[in-house]
Amino acid sequence: MTTAVEQAPAIPRASTGRPSWLAGLTLGRALTHLALLVLVLIWTLPTAGLLISSLRDKDQLAVSGWWTALTTSETQGVTRIGTAEAQVEEGGRYFIRGNVFGTDTNKTVTAFGLSNAAPGAEPAGGSVEMTDGGAITVQADGAFEWASDAPFAHTRGPRIFYVSAIAPRFTIDNYIEVLTASGVGRSFINSFTVTIPATIIPILIAAFAAYALAWMRFPFRGLIVALVVGLLVVPLQMSLIPLLSLYNDIAKLFGATDGKTYLGVWLAHTAFGLPLAIYLLRNYMAGLPREIMESARIDGASHFKIFTTMVLPLSFPALASFSIFQFLWVWNDLLVAMVFLGAQQDKLVLTGKLVSLLGSRGNNWEILTAGAFVTIVVPLIVFFALQRYFVRGLLAGSVK
Amino acid sequence: MDDVLQQLVGAILAIVIALAACVAYFWGTNWLLDRVLSSGSSSGDAMTKRDNLRSSIRPWLFLFPALLFLSVYLIYPVFETVRLSLFDGSGRTFVGFGNYAWALGDPNFQRSVLNNVLWLIIVPSMATGFGLVIAVLADRLWWGNIAKSLVFMPMAISFVGASVIWRFVYDYRGEGDLQIGLLNAIVTGLGFPPQAWITMPFWNSIFLMVILIWIQTGFAMVILSAALRGIPEETLEAARIDGANDFRIFFDIMIPQIWGTIVVVWTTITIVVLKVFDIIFAMTNGQWDTEVLANLMFKWMFVNFDYGRGSAIAVVIMLAVLPIMIWNIRRANAEQGTR
Amino acid sequence: MKLKFFMAALLAGATLGVVAAQAQELKYPKGEGAFSWDALQAFADAHTDLAGQTLSIWGPWREGGDQEQFLTVLAYFEEATGVDVQYASSENYEQQAQIDAAAGSSANITILPQPGLLANMASQGYLVPLGEEMAARVEAEHAAGSSFVDLGTYAGADGAEAFYAVPYKSDLKSLVWYSPDNFADAGYEVPQSYEALKALTEQMVADGNTPWCIGLGSGGATGWPATDWVEDIMLRMYPAEDYDAWVSNELKFNDPKVVAAIEEFGWFAKNEAHVAGGTAAVGTTDFRESPLGLFSVPPACFMHHQASFIPSFFPEGTVLGEDADFFYFPASTEADLGNPVLGAGTLATITRDTPAAQAFIDFLLNPISNEIWMAQSGFLSTLKAANVETYGNDTLRGEGEILLNATTFRFDASDLMPGAIGAGSFWTGMVDFVGSKSAQQVGDEIQASWDAIQ
Repeated sequence: MTTAVEQAPAIPRASTGRPSWLAGLTLGRALTHLALLVLVLIWTLPTAGLLISSLRDKDQLAVSGWWTALTTSETQGVTRIGTAEAQVEEGGRYFIRGNVFGTDTNKTVTAFGLSNAAPGAEPAGGSVEMTDGGAITVQADGAFEWASDAPFAHTRGPRIFYVSAIAPRFTIDNYIEVLTASGVGRSFINSFTVTIPATIIPILIAAFAAYALAWMRFPFRGLIVALVVGLLVVPLQMSLIPLLSLYNDIAKLFGATDGKTYLGVWLAHTAFGLPLAIYLLRNYMAGLPREIMESARIDGASHFKIFTTMVLPLSFPALASFSIFQFLWVWNDLLVAMVFLGAQQDKLVLTGKLVSLLGSRGNNWEILTAGAFVTIVVPLIVFFALQRYFVRGLLAGSVK
Repeated sequence: MDDVLQQLVGAILAIVIALAACVAYFWGTNWLLDRVLSSGSSSGDAMTKRDNLRSSIRPWLFLFPALLFLSVYLIYPVFETVRLSLFDGSGRTFVGFGNYAWALGDPNFQRSVLNNVLWLIIVPSMATGFGLVIAVLADRLWWGNIAKSLVFMPMAISFVGASVIWRFVYDYRGEGDLQIGLLNAIVTGLGFPPQAWITMPFWNSIFLMVILIWIQTGFAMVILSAALRGIPEETLEAARIDGANDFRIFFDIMIPQIWGTIVVVWTTITIVVLKVFDIIFAMTNGQWDTEVLANLMFKWMFVNFDYGRGSAIAVVIMLAVLPIMIWNIRRANAEQGTR
Repeated sequence: MKLKFFMAALLAGATLGVVAAQAQELKYPKGEGAFSWDALQAFADAHTDLAGQTLSIWGPWREGGDQEQFLTVLAYFEEATGVDVQYASSENYEQQAQIDAAAGSSANITILPQPGLLANMASQGYLVPLGEEMAARVEAEHAAGSSFVDLGTYAGADGAEAFYAVPYKSDLKSLVWYSPDNFADAGYEVPQSYEALKALTEQMVADGNTPWCIGLGSGGATGWPATDWVEDIMLRMYPAEDYDAWVSNELKFNDPKVVAAIEEFGWFAKNEAHVAGGTAAVGTTDFRESPLGLFSVPPACFMHHQASFIPSFFPEGTVLGEDADFFYFPASTEADLGNPVLGAGTLATITRDTPAAQAFIDFLLNPISNEIWMAQSGFLSTLKAANVETYGNDTLRGEGEILLNATTFRFDASDLMPGAIGAGSFWTGMVDFVGSKSAQQVGDEIQASWDAIQ
């Protein structure tokens, strides 16, 4: 598909006298490159922003845009100096020492001051008189020393304001914070427990139904196809309560207290995925070459045999692409898992875990960003692993 | 760790049991059908009759498990919803079409219908359009597959993730503050004052639609790209020899050739749009006049606990899909005619 | 075959579902400190027949917030009774509680902060009445006991009123947070009256400062912080009777009184110079990020009106009482209505009755269940027997004092109103008001939505 032929209509390739890769470098081709590049950039930029944000220092993340991640940013901060209890005596003078940045090492003080109004009154390394006596010096690395001839007696630590430059720094701390939060590992396992059976179970069921709807003649066929399409749009929120009641009634028959089991989630996801599965697979199967089917029929093969020996293998790519969709949908689902499985710590799926991590810590951008990325890693791996089939699968089928 | 192990074993067991049960069911019932209604021994009329009987039963054997699932999990709730929509909030008193009458007069409902129409016009067309353009462009470049993977990526992102991502785009800080939202950074960089995007009347709905377009374009692109590759090379070659330029080829050859696929993609995205809920729920919850039907339904069902009104809105959503259903019946019938 | 599959898979599912709750260590060793250990012992002695039972609790406290503290309280209950407690919550816990109730899979105990929602659940027959005796105990053992009995009394499915919910954990809403250092540096004094608060606001503007940080953003609940403002203002402009009439809609939402209160909120929030980031930022700023303006350099604002839970969202390392402090949202001297206090809190109900559930309700009236949490953070108790010495810090103690000095205590109106109003059109109305609409328009719209549900 990507040979130069497309760009050189009616002219045989050899007659251009150029190597074929150069033939591609026409204006049109360059525009094609450019247009696609722009589109891809637009599509990737928001996600890239999230990825970059998730790798930034958490105190930078919420105050400056992610596109500034590579530049040194300047912020103003404040720190409280220790009370008289922190003083040490050396040679008859008294000192209180410390570092305005605590243990952070990627920041430098450019200036400091004693009031909110003038946080940059004195350049770093300078010295300022304190109202409680003595003078304070703040070095560029943040180290401060408050020296006085008389012992300190204050009980409330004064505040030092500073202007600091934060060197760009990337860190995986945010990810460590998310991944080590208690229960995240467990929710990973729970998510897999929910997702894998819920992806596999509907495939065969849908494939048989799709074949019947595509290649068998029977009354009400059109109606059932329409019904499947209609069911695609049923908002599943409205089926939650009737179904949960049903589950609870069944559970009571078996003597359990409530109907929230993994089985319930698998079956629910199976059912909710079926309309799309049948719809996609039917479209695909209907597009398989009729001649093959007919010759097989003439040879006396039964529908069952045609389905299992020919249609199913031929449809493998379509099945794979449906599995990707179903996997993504189940993995990313929150509502169904919450309602049918419950929200106990040991049953939370990954999306639920993240929402609960966010819950009352909604302003923790570092958890938000790293957490969001943690959830999309698995679907991305699945997608890239099965992509081959995905594209190949839809190659023949959707041409009508 | 014991219960974790147990859980994993349970999951694997479930897969095995489910697959075995499926195979056993389909193979077993078929075998049974062929056995009970075998055409081997008898002859003539009886044989034809049996053949006919068999071929009229078999489709239903194929369909039965799917239909069972659909009936229990979707059709039964649909009927339940239609029933509840005729009752009051607690589901006890019959009110006839009272809930529908209420809906027609409710400003929020009217606003939602209007917004939904906008969504239905804009999102499927933009997503399909962008998907088609990217598919066409990507198919002619060596890095096309990489490009397609990147464009498809949003499909893999959960709504929890997507809403975080777009917060970094639409974020608003007061004028003079450092902007951390990409859009406002661009706007202020160009010297304009920052805007609170998600509160701008009318435009805020568009900004929310952008999120869904962003997600769905990947879907459209993958399917359309596959369809494009299905166009016979000779057809394209012939057009080129006739001197058609790229635009003529695109509009006169490619689009008609894959029209069926475009319609399928369009339909699928339309259905997604009708159900769109998470984006609005996460970004605005319908504030600033961004309400849509699915979110309004969710509110009445699970915030106000008025099942009657919630169900009435759900029924309206389902009615909205009727045209698509009718069109599909026609298409199915037309296919039957040619087959 | 289908059946076999169902049976086998059901079995697999059933074995998966059962997971024991993890045993938790007791946070405070028994017998130490000012805790009422005797009461715990008495409780344990009274409930000796429950060992081995399980109790499920559904509540609003989530991980990273208050869940850890609540689990430490539960540990004492488990230790005293031998009951195995399973606690769960989720982001949309109100909705989940209702879905579970409707479907019949409620937890034994459901704890919710909205009396309005509980009233709704009671009318559907989802709650178990606690009995006259329990009502009498709440009245006697809680400060302002009779108002808590009213909060927990609803009409059941048969229309008869009964007592359903006991209070546990209160929040104080009439608070303004500020940085004492910033106040001192700029020479501002904590205002002692509502009029002084407005004068201070104007003073700050005159000095070139921004007085307020207001953020209404809260995802799906965007708008609620403004309802607290309007409620506090209502209590400062009109007598409590008007507030009660407003809650029950006898005083209409578009009544001039209510409209005036909304406009009064507009004086703070719809004035470009009064709020950090300008009016446009009010609607979009997340309520959890809003208080951060107090701590920036230079400060983005000087005051922030929010309930007692907000310190959880202050920057890491903020020392309460030193870096941040609060003052009572002062009462009006002109209106002379005493010291009204707006509060909120959670109420516990039985949604599936068992002996362990009854014992747990009893436990919530035991001082130890309050003290264990009081000693940590974010918990205010109205239980008289709870020892105030166990409060973990002076801030909590100070808030407790405001609660005790209140001449009028009123529960958050939006939590008392029907969900469609209190968690719906009231929120939306406030967002619209801050956006562009007038107070009258907003009042009319909210009233129209209230009329539509009657």
